[in-house]
Amino acid sequence: MSIEIRNLNKRFGDTVACDGLNLDIAAGELVALLGPSGCGKTTLLRIIAGLERPDGGTVAFHGADATFADVRDRNVGFVFQHYALFGHMTIFENVAFGLRVRPKANRPSEAQIRSAVTDLLRLVQLDAVAGRYPHQLSGGQRQRIALARALAVQPKILLLDEPFGALDAKVRKELRRWLRRLHDEMHVTSVFVTHDQEEALEVADRVVVMNQGRIEQDGTPDDVYDRPATPFVLQFLGDVNLLPLGDAQGYVRPHELTVLEGADRCAGDGLPAVLAQTLTVGANTRLEFKRLDDGAYIDVEMPRGEFLALRDRLNLQIGGEYRLRPNRITRFVAGERVSAQ
Amino acid sequence: MPAPEAGAGPRDLVAATAEPRWVRRLLIGTALCFLALFLFVPLAAVFYEALRKGWDVYLAAIVEPDALSAVRLTLLAAAISVPLNLVFGLAAAWAIAKFDFRGKNLLLTLIDLPFSVSPVIAGLIFVLVFGLQGWFGGWLREHDLKVIFAVPGIVLATIFVTFPFVARELIPLMQAQGSEQEEAARVLGASGWQIFRRVTLPNVKWALLYGVILCNARAMGEFGAVSVVSGHIRGQTNTMPLHIEVLYNEYQFAAAFAVASLLAGLALVTLVLKYLVEQRVKAQIRAGGGPGE
Repeated sequence: MSIEIRNLNKRFGDTVACDGLNLDIAAGELVALLGPSGCGKTTLLRIIAGLERPDGGTVAFHGADATFADVRDRNVGFVFQHYALFGHMTIFENVAFGLRVRPKANRPSEAQIRSAVTDLLRLVQLDAVAGRYPHQLSGGQRQRIALARALAVQPKILLLDEPFGALDAKVRKELRRWLRRLHDEMHVTSVFVTHDQEEALEVADRVVVMNQGRIEQDGTPDDVYDRPATPFVLQFLGDVNLLPLGDAQGYVRPHELTVLEGADRCAGDGLPAVLAQTLTVGANTRLEFKRLDDGAYIDVEMPRGEFLALRDRLNLQIGGEYRLRPNRITRFVAGERVSAQ
Repeated sequence: MPAPEAGAGPRDLVAATAEPRWVRRLLIGTALCFLALFLFVPLAAVFYEALRKGWDVYLAAIVEPDALSAVRLTLLAAAISVPLNLVFGLAAAWAIAKFDFRGKNLLLTLIDLPFSVSPVIAGLIFVLVFGLQGWFGGWLREHDLKVIFAVPGIVLATIFVTFPFVARELIPLMQAQGSEQEEAARVLGASGWQIFRRVTLPNVKWALLYGVILCNARAMGEFGAVSVVSGHIRGQTNTMPLHIEVLYNEYQFAAAFAVASLLAGLALVTLVLKYLVEQRVKAQIRAGGGPGE
């Protein structure tokens, strides 16, 4: 089911959570709402779910206005950051809850409930723990159960509020791949909120970058990363070096710089800089340079192998002088992107 | 908690924080002496005095009509006030923990009022409101209704005094639990009543029972407020604590202690129940009462 959001406003006291938001989400899409904490992304998600009422504007599902529809009539699934599993029920009963509370007229029979829940538990690969209680499960398992519980009522829209935020790095990585695969199988329209840019870029079809209640940019992961609409988007999606260029601001990502031979050898272009330190983290090496002209620091990042080759070729040394050539500069004048080359 | 590493075992930690043996013995000894003197000796004295003149006197004091009437009245007052305060307390805790509204702090303060006001004052308030010279005194007399120096007054005073127990027990737990589970249930299609019955109530049931036990103990043991509104009419408006006082003032020590032993026995039962329920409340908090756990 598609979602259409028009002129949505919401304030909490003096804080503006949604400032005239417009957003269309197509049926079957997997969209990430990305932004720093307090940017309004969770409020937007809760308004879509009906857990929060907007001050103004409309939310429509597949063209039908649902702004003030009751939560129960919206047919959405919601996954909470802290799982919100029912601690006094077994895993089986947690997943069955949505079916058991239906009015008698359209409540499935006990046998149907049993088979539906068993199927869902198999889907999240946790059919072995049906008889246990939530506190006996790990964080990753609990979140998978929370997802199964949300899917049990066959929602037309799945909303996830920082679903992996409370998990450790390794489990988080596994779960987001798993979520992507699950979405590819089920095609239910999904919106998830995150403050982790890597997560958004890796999982979503489309990324909506938010800041202070407004949408900064809305596009594919490649779009927002390679063609950021505002300096905020550029800086939020990964590390970047700032190069003042007259009246414009130039931004260069650490992997978009080439290190050239020493500053004393006249040869043309590039910024003269001194190598301050090198740091190898995993597969990449980060080189920190200090500019000779204004003393600002510039980070350069490259794969480890490339760094080793470069070190041998240029005889790289801490304190040695080199030149840095940007391969691509994104320029903004007064907040507007003017070019990327 | 991570397991302590070899070498820095728990024994070392204890040694680093432990006091010398004689200090420990002194502290524990002092505490035990205090407990013995102020708790065990009086309790033992009650039963000793009650049974000193033999079983016959003890039984006679208990089955005496005035005593039975006092027991009945105490049970009646508790039977009315405890269920009412269960409902009031649950409603108040639900409102305070799950919703934001104006005057929430005022409501919290009002709930604590019976704790901070002396029970005698509480009783006097009811006399002022419902007594013959009180605000509604004339109207009540015209309609031939008796509140003060009658059973309704005793029930009212008991309700007032025991009001905070259930609410006070539930509010911190419900606040710690937050409303995420309720929201989850709502999104899954549960109605308000279904959310309450299937999610909220099971999450607080042991704390609720704990509050009810405390409330009941106080309802049966209340003296001050009830004493002011009761009028001490033997066989009619005397509760067990009042009956004990009357007997004591009339130098019927054996009978007074016999009835007192009933109340003391009740307190002991309450303590055991309280201990058992406390264990369940702790287990419930561990098992996912709080948010995120």
